[in-house]
Amino acid sequence: MIAAVLAGDAESFAGLVRRYQDTCTRFAVRMLGSRADADDVLQAAFMRAYRGLRGCQDRERFGGWLYQIVVNECRTFASRQKKRELRFIADNEAIDRAVASASEHEMEKDLGTHVELALGMLPAEQREAFLLKYVEELSYEEISGITGVGISALKMRVKRACDGLRDLLEGVYHD
Amino acid sequence: MIEDPSDSRDAHDAAFLERVAGPLRAPELLDETFEARLMEKVRLEGSLYRPASPTAGSTSWWRTERAVRVSPLRGLAVAAGLAGVIALSTLADDSRSGSESLAAAKSPAAMAAARSDTVHVVRFVFVDSRASTVEIVGDFNAWTRGVTRLERSAAPGVWSASVALPAGRHEYAFIINGSRWIADPRAPTTSDDFGTESTVIHVGPSQQSTT
Repeated sequence: MIAAVLAGDAESFAGLVRRYQDTCTRFAVRMLGSRADADDVLQAAFMRAYRGLRGCQDRERFGGWLYQIVVNECRTFASRQKKRELRFIADNEAIDRAVASASEHEMEKDLGTHVELALGMLPAEQREAFLLKYVEELSYEEISGITGVGISALKMRVKRACDGLRDLLEGVYHD
Repeated sequence: MIEDPSDSRDAHDAAFLERVAGPLRAPELLDETFEARLMEKVRLEGSLYRPASPTAGSTSWWRTERAVRVSPLRGLAVAAGLAGVIALSTLADDSRSGSESLAAAKSPAAMAAARSDTVHVVRFVFVDSRASTVEIVGDFNAWTRGVTRLERSAAPGVWSASVALPAGRHEYAFIINGSRWIADPRAPTTSDDFGTESTVIHVGPSQQSTT
């Protein structure tokens, strides 16, 4: 399919989208905490992939190459979102109240919701490392190749993410 | 026997991580218009990549309609070839009917291929007694869902479909109940850097097995 697109058949790109959309979607939704945001990010990511496809002629490497793009687009989006929030929401007490309110509400929902909520409270770089390691189940070597972050730094991020999740979910899990 | 505290701690951590990661591994689906919207943007960009041949224009050679003149004798030969494939498949199915269902019952999935000089018919068999739908996606159907559904066979939990494949390397995966994507559990799989597993099959005169 990559060869077909590079040979001028743009319609074949739809096949690549179908092949990788599910995995990209899961990562982006978990990373951004919103399907609407994930939709925007993945539209941008796939378009970047289409425009830059000539840089990835080895189809065995296409998945990892696309993953790099998705991870970078998620980072860019999260960074812009953070700036917007800092600009428009300066009342930290209001934020705390909103989080507490959301937490109480979500307590009534299922376990998956608690986990997603806790995940969303982690710093983005920890959330990213945790998702790639334990949800996408990639090796540290693979994650390092995708994110450009060293393995020891990744291990530290994953450990901190685990510690953070354990603290946040303490009241949910009764071990 | 006294349990090693570090083992206990590791097991505790692993159990916690599994409980946390499990729900996060559930599939997520975007709006069903996602692909259409994206491809509209792709079309607006125009073809960024040109065919290698300057005479091929914007249409790729495999999408170009061709008029092929076939002599009656050659037409007969092609028809005989196709009929041979069907006959081969049918014969293979008949001769295997007893042992294959036994083999299928033993294994989650199995695949049988019949070959000819013109068309390669590959029969995909998947076994899952809890499945309500099974389909196969691969590069041969542009990873499109709903195109190649496996049919229930007489044996409980056994699903199968026959697909005509051109010679060469193909990747595929099964989709169970419309959402669970799995590589063929009986065949060697390939996992790209994405962590997405699919199975690779090489179809051709000299190769019938997966690699």
